[in-house]
Amino acid sequence: MIPMLMRLKVSRKPDRHGLLLPVFLVWILLFALMVVLLPFVLVAALFTWASGQGKWLLMTYPLLISVLFHLSGLHVEIEHEEQNILIAFL
Amino acid sequence: MSEERKKILDMLQQGKITVEEAEKLLAALASPEEAKIEAQRSACRYLRVVVEPGPQSEDRDRVNIRVPMKLIRAGLKWAAFVPKHAQSSINQALHEKGIEMDFTRITQEDIEELVTQLNDLTVEVEGKEKVRIYCE
Repeated sequence: MIPMLMRLKVSRKPDRHGLLLPVFLVWILLFALMVVLLPFVLVAALFTWASGQGKWLLMTYPLLISVLFHLSGLHVEIEHEEQNILIAFL
Repeated sequence: MSEERKKILDMLQQGKITVEEAEKLLAALASPEEAKIEAQRSACRYLRVVVEPGPQSEDRDRVNIRVPMKLIRAGLKWAAFVPKHAQSSINQALHEKGIEMDFTRITQEDIEELVTQLNDLTVEVEGKEKVRIYCE
């Protein structure tokens, strides 16, 4: 499942809850951009097919989508004496 | 239902074997595909990296990272994008470090095997900081 929200916390106090960012808006923009770029990618893949790069160019789309869909559950938390940083995809 | 399964269930019904024995026999009969699915079910879902300050550590920094295994699998597929000339550079760098490995010969199956083996991984280092890497 693609993450819909991202929890971001950059604070000096560990008990602060941080922000819940609606990353699904970013995904919508990203997918729109991918659709717009698709014809150019297909043309580029066609021209570079002989060199073997075209195949990888086409693979970019499913691989990128695969990474985005599996971001859910990623949790990075760093606590420093002065600063706490938390990035979590929900 | 296969003949063997039917026999086991008949033996269970007749009281010749116990429920536990029947379960073991049925598990032994499971096809490789079923065994693989079962292994995937029991596989870990996240790779955890935890760094905590040790007893003698002066700084109180802590790191807690949880990476979904599916994300690791998806990310490793990007390794195919490493250009050929960069792969030979990687080989050279590995050789200089004493690691004899041919990066160009690593296949998708090798990567999959590597990720599967991470299920059993547990690394614990206790020094100034306590570092733990494990699957959960």
